[in-house]
Amino acid sequence: MDPGEAWREWLEESAPRLLAYARARCNDAQEAEDLLQDALIKLWGYQEERECRPPDLPLAFSVMRYLGLDRGRRKGRREKRDQKIIQFQSGEDHWLDPTLEDTEEAELLRKEVEELPDKLREALTLKIWGGLTFAEIGSVLKISHNTAASRYRYALEQLQKKLKHLQNIKNG
Amino acid sequence: MDNTLKNLESNLETLAPRGLSDRGRENCHQLIDQLVEDYKSSTRNSNQGSWKGTAAAAAVALGIGISGGWFLGMDRASSLLVEDDKSGGAKDVLVFEHLDHESWILAEESPNVYVTKSGEIREISREVEVTEEVVQHRESGLVVTIETTDHHVVDAPKSDF
Repeated sequence: MDPGEAWREWLEESAPRLLAYARARCNDAQEAEDLLQDALIKLWGYQEERECRPPDLPLAFSVMRYLGLDRGRRKGRREKRDQKIIQFQSGEDHWLDPTLEDTEEAELLRKEVEELPDKLREALTLKIWGGLTFAEIGSVLKISHNTAASRYRYALEQLQKKLKHLQNIKNG
Repeated sequence: MDNTLKNLESNLETLAPRGLSDRGRENCHQLIDQLVEDYKSSTRNSNQGSWKGTAAAAAVALGIGISGGWFLGMDRASSLLVEDDKSGGAKDVLVFEHLDHESWILAEESPNVYVTKSGEIREISREVEVTEEVVQHRESGLVVTIETTDHHVVDAPKSDF
């Protein structure tokens, strides 16, 4: 298969997963897409030695993470945090597709996922939408697979707790 | 993991991540096309440039041959012939035509006089000699100038004062 065609196919299949992860590290959709393009260039460079085959997903996530960290460092933590607050308040720029959220619970869930602490959201994103194993998540995040599993479980527990709390408020 | 967490997990899976925007997809496709094109052209260039690689390798081999021959006191004009006789590097050397040769002393320091244990008076000095060889690649017409620098220690009996 022509390398261009193979990469397009790979992108079509992997872009939503990679973007979901990028969105966990970026301020808006545009920046996440920019990050994905930067990652494509980097990944292509790596894969030239491998007959230009599309990369494995864990490698792609690792590159995205590295580039995301680099971007974050350059922009400065304070600026990033301030912008993130504005983003959450605007409520219009979501990284999970709102057209597929037809229930109130799904809407709540989406909001709560976006407000999880970065480390927990990262583990959750890589597991649920990245489709990685805990070992792969560990290698991407440079942590042990046990820590990856713990973060994932803790993220789920936090989400559950918040949802229960919101339901209780709603039910009076 | 209890059932409520499993249910939560299932609910999360239904929240599909948002895909690339149309603009983003278009940009990525253009980028991929560009990367593929750059890769193909660099591969083409490296294939076309292979004779240049051969020429450069031959030039280096020639330079070493010439300077080596010169250093050993051999006739410089014949150094090409010496290379020609050998197999392996010979093919590379034959593709060149010898155009010019020149050598000169670049630096010479004042000699130091010393006496050996046997009582002989000698003088020692250093000199830097530059050799410039101009050759032409027969097929392409490319002219290559090979410049070699040799550092010599001249150690000779001191005969006059």
